[in-house]
Amino acid sequence: MTGVMSLVGLLFVAPFAFMFFASFKKEAEVLKPEAILPRAWDISNYEAVARNSVEAPVGLWFLNSVFIASATTLLVVMVSAMAAFAITRIRVRGGATLLSVVVGTMMIPGQLFLIPLYVILSRMGLLDTPYSMILPASAGGFGVFMLSQFMRSLPVAIEEAALIDGCTPAQLFWRVTLPLCGPSLATLAVFTFVASWNDYITPLVFMESVTNYTLPVGIALFQSSYSTQYGLTIATSLIATAPLVLMFLIFQKQIIESMTSSGLKD
Amino acid sequence: MRARGKDALTGYLFLAPFLVLFACFVILPVGISLWLSVVRLDLANASSSQFIGAQNYTDAVGDNFFWMAAQATGKYALLMTPSVLILGTAIALGLHAMSRGREMARALIYLPSMLNVAATGILWQWFLNNEFGLFNYVIKKLGGQSVPWLTDANMAMPSIVLMSLWWTVGGTSVIILTALQQIPKMFFEAAALDGATERQIFGKVMLPLLKPVLLFVFVTTTIASFQMFGQAMILTAGGPTFSTRGLVQYMFETAFNGYRFGYGAAISWLLFAGIAVFSVAQARLLRSRGDL
Repeated sequence: MTGVMSLVGLLFVAPFAFMFFASFKKEAEVLKPEAILPRAWDISNYEAVARNSVEAPVGLWFLNSVFIASATTLLVVMVSAMAAFAITRIRVRGGATLLSVVVGTMMIPGQLFLIPLYVILSRMGLLDTPYSMILPASAGGFGVFMLSQFMRSLPVAIEEAALIDGCTPAQLFWRVTLPLCGPSLATLAVFTFVASWNDYITPLVFMESVTNYTLPVGIALFQSSYSTQYGLTIATSLIATAPLVLMFLIFQKQIIESMTSSGLKD
Repeated sequence: MRARGKDALTGYLFLAPFLVLFACFVILPVGISLWLSVVRLDLANASSSQFIGAQNYTDAVGDNFFWMAAQATGKYALLMTPSVLILGTAIALGLHAMSRGREMARALIYLPSMLNVAATGILWQWFLNNEFGLFNYVIKKLGGQSVPWLTDANMAMPSIVLMSLWWTVGGTSVIILTALQQIPKMFFEAAALDGATERQIFGKVMLPLLKPVLLFVFVTTTIASFQMFGQAMILTAGGPTFSTRGLVQYMFETAFNGYRFGYGAAISWLLFAGIAVFSVAQARLLRSRGDL
């Protein structure tokens, strides 16, 4: 079984190898899949990407993706942790009701929000800005739900001790609860970053200017306008996916475990 | 602690940022979407929009394109869900049986899930190209006829499913594998001691114990399948002849290419209704069989 599964594993990563080698091929070679390795390693595809042209500013898309995914992650983690703390630890009046409303809205498919969000964001003047992606992504209930589950399982004794020592609720949050939630916060952060980085439909709807695109919509545009240049398009896709693939190769154990546990809890 | 006075105020301050975001970008949109679906919208002047009741919904029932989109979505879900369940379980069992290198193999199979849909689609469009794609190249080398993967109305959806399997089945396998690893070994050892064959152990011990996780995968995959969008946008743009244009794409095009926001909103509520009905029905169906 070990042998069979090793082959299956290779079958799953083989496309990555094809992608990598194709990005170093001349276009004529990309269109003739006779050899896997490039006959001569050619970096003209990457040179074209590095030119950061007006029609396809890949460097700009990359920066947009980095900014939007990072800001979304930071905001989601902070806002969710604070809300979960208020609901489960301070136990504000109405907190439990709010949590069940939040969980209820999680059943609504995300696409339903696109049209009304377009209307709202356009009124707020936020269409075609990074905030059109960051703010709606930070309003989702998943983080609050997940962190509430976790915070509820924390022993009350630690907090009581801190309160007796004269800790204010805000100090309790920063010094005690947040550090105890470390692994859960990391799971939420990874989950949010990957989802934001890979989001395709939101920027497709909310971003107008090519300079405001993130990588997924950018390379999709690339594909429709340069569809004959597979080598170039594939090199761009490779750059768009490299950060997550590298992150995955380093932290694969933690990422897999956090992705599955976040899906499995309840 | 139950908050009182100053602490309660602190509590609401902690809750405030989320509450504001949740109200603006979740609750308000749900309300606006409902409103949009029952009015004829005047984009220039929202206050002069006309109430038309359920007309957007009845329009959908009489709209051939709506039914074609529903059919495409249904076809994708029908092909995708069983494939994910069977392949995901098979891979999980294979990984579970590995004597070494399991973590490595698990990572390789999971890796495609890290890609965004645009990169995945571009890669597979190249593989599946009629003239210079890798798939047809191999088929022709082996003496076969080249296959119109994305250009034939009957082949396009199975091709999209093939790509989606490569892209997402890793996540499913890992979830099933985790459940497998949580089954105490003594269950299998006891069955083996009692003289059960491998097949009996699989069918009578392992599968029943996996039922909750398989149900979870079944429901989540079906719901995700109903939301299929990016794969078709990139690979086929919904073609040929709308054969792969699902409900989400139809909603997207209605609203943002055709500027019919009300009709688009109505389609998104019908999609939600389809998903809700399915997840409830599936859970009931399996529970009524008695063993969950």
